[in-house]
Amino acid sequence: MALLEIRHVHKKFGSNQVLTDVNLQVEPHTIYGLIGENGAGKTTTMKMILGLLPIEEGEIFIDGKKVTYGANQTNKMIGYLPDVPEFYGYMSAKEYLQLCAKITGMKSSLVQARIRELLDLVGLAENNKRIHGYSRGMKQRLGIAQALLNQPKLLICDEPTSALDPKGRKEILDILLAIKKETTIIFSTHILSDVERICDDIGLLHQGSIHFQGNMQTLKREHQMEGFEIEFASQSECQTFSALFGAGEQLSLTRLRYTNPQQGDLRQTLDICASHNLIPIKIEQLEATLESVFLEVINDETTPRV
Amino acid sequence: MIILTQIPAEIMEILPFLIPLVIAQLALLAYTLWHIFTHPNYRRWNRMTWVIIVLIGMQFWGPILYFLFGKEEA
Amino acid sequence: MMKQLLAFSQKEILELIRSGRLLLFVILFIVFGIMNPALAKLTPWLLEQLATTLAESGIVVVDMPVDALTSWQQFYKNFPMALIIYTILSAGVLTNEYQHGTLINMVTKGLPRWKIILAKTVVLWGTWTLLYSIMFAITYAYNAYFWDNSIAADLWIAGVLVYLFGIFILTLVIWSSTLFKTSTAVMASVGALVIGMYGISVVPTWGTYLPTQLLTAQNLLTEVTPLHDYQFAIILTGILIPILLLGSIVIFNQKRI
Repeated sequence: MALLEIRHVHKKFGSNQVLTDVNLQVEPHTIYGLIGENGAGKTTTMKMILGLLPIEEGEIFIDGKKVTYGANQTNKMIGYLPDVPEFYGYMSAKEYLQLCAKITGMKSSLVQARIRELLDLVGLAENNKRIHGYSRGMKQRLGIAQALLNQPKLLICDEPTSALDPKGRKEILDILLAIKKETTIIFSTHILSDVERICDDIGLLHQGSIHFQGNMQTLKREHQMEGFEIEFASQSECQTFSALFGAGEQLSLTRLRYTNPQQGDLRQTLDICASHNLIPIKIEQLEATLESVFLEVINDETTPRV
Repeated sequence: MIILTQIPAEIMEILPFLIPLVIAQLALLAYTLWHIFTHPNYRRWNRMTWVIIVLIGMQFWGPILYFLFGKEEA
Repeated sequence: MMKQLLAFSQKEILELIRSGRLLLFVILFIVFGIMNPALAKLTPWLLEQLATTLAESGIVVVDMPVDALTSWQQFYKNFPMALIIYTILSAGVLTNEYQHGTLINMVTKGLPRWKIILAKTVVLWGTWTLLYSIMFAITYAYNAYFWDNSIAADLWIAGVLVYLFGIFILTLVIWSSTLFKTSTAVMASVGALVIGMYGISVVPTWGTYLPTQLLTAQNLLTEVTPLHDYQFAIILTGILIPILLLGSIVIFNQKRI
């Protein structure tokens, strides 16, 4: 059974249709990437899962229990990391986690150990400073710690890496990968490389509806681009090859791309190179990137259907 | 004792007010100045402006204004 | 769960202490407490200064006796200022949290919204109780030392009535905070309501029913106004406080935070 299930959810803000018939399932112990541009409806979807926005149409289930607005029965199973988490600046990380522990009703005998464990995980254990002196990345890491406090079944992260520098991003992604065995993660982002690094399943949200959903490997296979690219050290070598093998798409003076090749093409290429003493710097088989798939999906939909 | 008898009776009368009042106000002033000098950022204006405001209104208006409009929210 | 309520109240108190507001309040209310008898003590001296200038214009100033009543009059004159300062500095009690989005985490962690309102109200009232007691006690002690408090009739009742007005205003702050998003809007709406009540009091008799009547409690000391003139205002205020509190919870439950 899916841990999170969204069924036919629609959402309007006034006359503005934000979500149209959103359906998605997240399996236990997977990382689900909700991808979309800014304004695609990612944050709205997440706030509805959290019961922070009313659900007028459709249903959301977490571990089989229905989410209702304002009430927080299902929230006990969720850990939430907002895009820019804000804490009480006059507290230390430890004090804030202690407050959270009391609010969630954790057994006080377990609190100390759990807090220590989490602060170790996010690398804030040695830090006794007040939160108002924290950097963005530190706040984000504390955000993960507080979200994981009561061992939630589902961790919701809203653009956890968007505001961070490359180092901070890597730290967050590593933490998310590390906790995959303990919980299920759904996170939204528009940074595709993050998704490629850690996600098992993805959903493409575009203009308020899900355009693709499924396993990332399957997605890539379905949108597999065939062919290869070859690069030489000099322009003359490149021209010689082009004359012998046939003209390809000229990517640069020394680079060629061949799409839709025939069986045995690559072997022929290697033969030509060997017999004419051409030494390529790089031969690469083409692979679908998430970016190409994403753009493909978006372009399909923006061109009007007749 | 000589000094005390030289103080006019009227002032002797108000000393029980004056002493604690001055202590309380000085404490407030000291605390506010400490706060200003240990916090680099203010909601508006700069450190110099706040020090001047607090000193001018040192009876208690200066500190109140600072905590209302100058202190950065924690 | 009592534990959540306690934890959130503790957080409120910690905020008061670490933001420095509590210390500021305590010193201010001590200053106010001392100023009342001090001003009373200075009154004859001030009048004397005035008398010399007034005598030239033909006005004769009669010696005015200074006693505990003079000091208590100062107390009730300065009371609104103390309440206004406390109210203004507390107006962000909820709106600051909306602006920083700090409550979202508490609510998604399973803190029921009514507990937020209740904890904030209790701490706001509690701090007020502490501060008002300090101001009252200091004035009382000076008065007892220099003069005689017993000449003021219904001293304690009058003291409780203005205290109750303070509680009413602070409940208004909470209620208004569930309606508006900024502390400026909270201050403006509370101020407008109080001014509105004063406006209504222009109609004779009507004024005696409104909470603002409680502010005239100093008339009890000199027995200018009998106690039963206050009973309607007391009852109305007593009813309004729980209604406002319930209203706050109802509104807050539907609020986007």
